[in-house]
Amino acid sequence: MPYLFVAPNMLIFITFIIWPAIRGFQISFYDSIDGRTFTPVGTGNYKAIFGDPTVAEVAKNTAIYVVFYVIISTLLSIAFALIVNEQKFAKGFFRAILFLPVMLSPIVVGLIWNDVLDRKVGPLNALLQAIGGGSPGWLVEPKLGMMAVIFVGVWVHLGFYSIILLAGLQGIDRSLLEAAAMDGATRPQIIRTIILPLLKPTTLVILILATIHGFQSFDFIYTLTGGGPLGATTLIVQYIYDRAFQTPIQYGLGSAAGVILFMIIFAFTALNFLLGKKREAI
Amino acid sequence: MSKLQERASANKWSSMGGKKPPSVGTILRTTFLLAMTFVILAPVLWFVLSSFKDATDLGARPPKILPTRWAFENYTEAFQMYNYTRYFMNSVFVTSVATVLTLLINSMAAYAFAKYNFRGRDGLFVMTLAMIMIPLQVILIPIYLVVSSLGLVNTYWGMIIPAAATPTGVFIIRQYMLTIPDELIEAARIDGAGEFRIFARIVLPLCRPALAVVAIFSILWRWNDFLWPLLIAQKEELYTLPVALALLNGQLVVPYNIVLAMSVMSIIPVLFMFVFMQRQIVQGIAQTGIK
Repeated sequence: MPYLFVAPNMLIFITFIIWPAIRGFQISFYDSIDGRTFTPVGTGNYKAIFGDPTVAEVAKNTAIYVVFYVIISTLLSIAFALIVNEQKFAKGFFRAILFLPVMLSPIVVGLIWNDVLDRKVGPLNALLQAIGGGSPGWLVEPKLGMMAVIFVGVWVHLGFYSIILLAGLQGIDRSLLEAAAMDGATRPQIIRTIILPLLKPTTLVILILATIHGFQSFDFIYTLTGGGPLGATTLIVQYIYDRAFQTPIQYGLGSAAGVILFMIIFAFTALNFLLGKKREAI
Repeated sequence: MSKLQERASANKWSSMGGKKPPSVGTILRTTFLLAMTFVILAPVLWFVLSSFKDATDLGARPPKILPTRWAFENYTEAFQMYNYTRYFMNSVFVTSVATVLTLLINSMAAYAFAKYNFRGRDGLFVMTLAMIMIPLQVILIPIYLVVSSLGLVNTYWGMIIPAAATPTGVFIIRQYMLTIPDELIEAARIDGAGEFRIFARIVLPLCRPALAVVAIFSILWRWNDFLWPLLIAQKEELYTLPVALALLNGQLVVPYNIVLAMSVMSIIPVLFMFVFMQRQIVQGIAQTGIK
């Protein structure tokens, strides 16, 4: 009987996750332009990934995006969680606002910022011009495009991380804070010497989650920059997608990129799990 | 806020209580949070206002905050001249059927893991959780080849079934089921109730809070999901809202003002959930770290 209960789930996992994962690993050693005929190329795809300048560009973009996204998201979400936590006036309102972008469709978020950052008719540049600034081509110049993508990525997810950190803050033993306050510690001192150290495990979770999310980013970029300008915001997931749906179609190469992405995500998930075990032990 | 903390802040940060002016800390914090509110709300409001502008206003330099003429036809044309109804119904159908299916099969698996002893249980449970490590993005190409060889591309089932089993859903429901006393199930068995009946009639109703969390997350995720339906729905009549918005935005067939109106309408159900179910969502995230 219990087998019948787990059967539907297991069947789906096997057919749509495990089997494709195995196939993906296999295909990564082949070359295919139609998904039907496969020519063995040995480790050719992996060599191509580490040698091809286009892929190197994608790897560089992804690395820049992930590093900035993770650092900014983590620091800002700590700051926002602390500030919202200390807030007494309209706390619930501000928390709700912070959380709003998390609920929006990433596709719509991309469209929203595409509208706002438009070089000619966007409100941001209108604002900049009104105060005497220029009108930067946010979505037209490669470097600015990457900045825009990082900014919007943080904008989308900040509320998510802050919520987890706020829960962590609420888990801190009140009596510790009260004892410190009684000993005459100022609020900034309490934050620095008690709250932040106690928040370390949660911060670590945020760092790891943000890294995983960073590597998986795709949706909002699709409508924000579409990977442009000039491929400057093409990250690894879009690269994988393009190898199946955009010329040059290369199923094998895309699968190999998938295997590498898997290894990265696996490492960070495992790290999260091991640290979780350690947390439980304490 | 405790008295001690208040006293501490009274010492160092000037007083919070009574009719005295707010402290520097409060002013700084509130200013900061108001700035945050602006950075989050202003783009969304701008976008909503844009959806009421006609083509001339949308191209105006410098841009106008309010439309010169409120172009409500952006909205009516989305229905009349373009396929908004179709995309909307596709999204509703996929989201609701997928959520029901997810609840059913995830709670079935959760029940087996929580309330049965069977060979391979722990192994299968670990395997279920391990599925988190293989997100769609990493198996994008092979899973596409698998679903197309199964003939699931351009079908509703192709959008619904492959993502219906979720490790986090199983996990949340199982944890909740562990708190249901075994005696209850034993008693029902003695009364001669069948195993599936016990699950459906006794256990499931007791798990309502956990099911609600899983349902809310499933609805949110499915409604906003993009990459999976993008792979499966290649025919326009199957587009869900995110796919339609992303793909129509890139074409010149549908004018930008119509895309704007469609986008705004597509976020209304989510805003509704945001207003009425925020508490559950926030708690769900805080407890599980999923989204």
